[in-house]
Amino acid sequence: GVSIIRAPASPCVSILVDSHCISSGAEIVSSLRLKHGAAVQVCSLVNCDFIVSNRMAVEWQSESDMANPQNRKRLQDRIQSLQALFDRVCFIVEKDRTKPGEPLQSFQRSRYYDSTVAALVRAGIRLLVSQGPEDTAALLAELAHVELRKGQAICVPLEVKGPQLQALQFYLTLPCVTYISALCMCHRFNSVNHLVSSSLDALQAGVFISRSRAEEIYRCLHYSCDTTLI
Amino acid sequence: MDLKPSATAVSMNAVPPYGHVIINAKWRGSTLVQNFKGRVKTIFEDELGVVDLHLSNRSCVLYVSESDLVAGNDYKRKIVRFRNSNSKLSGIVIVEKTCLSEQYFSGLQKFVVLELGLTLLPVASPAEAAQLIEQMVHGESKESPFRKKSMSRLLDPVVLNLVQKIPGVGKVKAMALLKKFCSIYEISNASVKELEPVVGQAAAQQIWGFFHNQFS
Repeated sequence: GVSIIRAPASPCVSILVDSHCISSGAEIVSSLRLKHGAAVQVCSLVNCDFIVSNRMAVEWQSESDMANPQNRKRLQDRIQSLQALFDRVCFIVEKDRTKPGEPLQSFQRSRYYDSTVAALVRAGIRLLVSQGPEDTAALLAELAHVELRKGQAICVPLEVKGPQLQALQFYLTLPCVTYISALCMCHRFNSVNHLVSSSLDALQAGVFISRSRAEEIYRCLHYSCDTTLI
Repeated sequence: MDLKPSATAVSMNAVPPYGHVIINAKWRGSTLVQNFKGRVKTIFEDELGVVDLHLSNRSCVLYVSESDLVAGNDYKRKIVRFRNSNSKLSGIVIVEKTCLSEQYFSGLQKFVVLELGLTLLPVASPAEAAQLIEQMVHGESKESPFRKKSMSRLLDPVVLNLVQKIPGVGKVKAMALLKKFCSIYEISNASVKELEPVVGQAAAQQIWGFFHNQFS
């Protein structure tokens, strides 16, 4: 079909993409960059597929993966850890792709599928339905724009260089720290000691995190280890 | 049940007992209700305002049929009236997404989920809607498996792990550092002179550099 190129009137948004999504989600990444003018960085996010703001993670699955009870445990584990790490969690369910020439298979909803949907809604997860990769990219861009309007957009460079790389790995080991929090730590503190020696308030403001998460990080940095217990 | 006059958009005291839904009387005899087949018990009520069904867990359903979607804007008014009522009920919009109404779906999703912050769940038919509502009603008593678990984990192994992320520090040096300095904060603020007797000259330099080298 004819694609409409969005005028770059809307400010550019930043989106982080997990490297595991690259094989299945190359179209999404291209569309985000070319059609939606987003700054996209592919990196190892470990526990989620996309990060669209300082507080929002997006999990992305095909309809058939979500309908498969064999994936139940993995889905539960991933969503639980996202809920612990991020204030907002979205779930994009993408319609399965049909290869050209293949008969169009209509998706049969099972009780399992519906109970999963009901449980996700009960847990406060925001569900979005996508018709395909183009639609998924549009939804991600839209989410990033909504977060931008709410003052939560990613506002640090998506790349780290040189000694920041080692610092990034260190920060990612802290409790409650997401990839985007670790990026903020790299870019908004001059050195690792600057972060480690920061007050609770400076930590909360510098990393754009809630008070309780800042407290947990602060507690870990100041925690006196008993080496006889390790 | 003592309900407010029909002028109000949302009834606040419609709380169905477990396994039941309170459903707008206009749904009497509908395909949706027939498809419940007794697995969801229905209580019909005239004064529900814009809401179609009340589920027990302080959430309610606004139903948008295929023809509502194709016909135009009335359903939007209904959803906005619900939203403006500030009822503290969480609103779930169930929409019939069919070959006919599919083209309107993405606009509706943008409006309901992204602009209003409500939940939107597509179904293909009233039969599918009935099955989904059944799962929502029967799941109410269960804790959602997707809720976050509060994990109070021991910090000692986390701190040991952190120290090993310092370049040039393995398990042995990490243990030695923690024995002497106890916390990340104290290691970070130790001078090269203080670090040297614990890990040797080269590592002491490296550790100090890791914490103090400026990024810019």
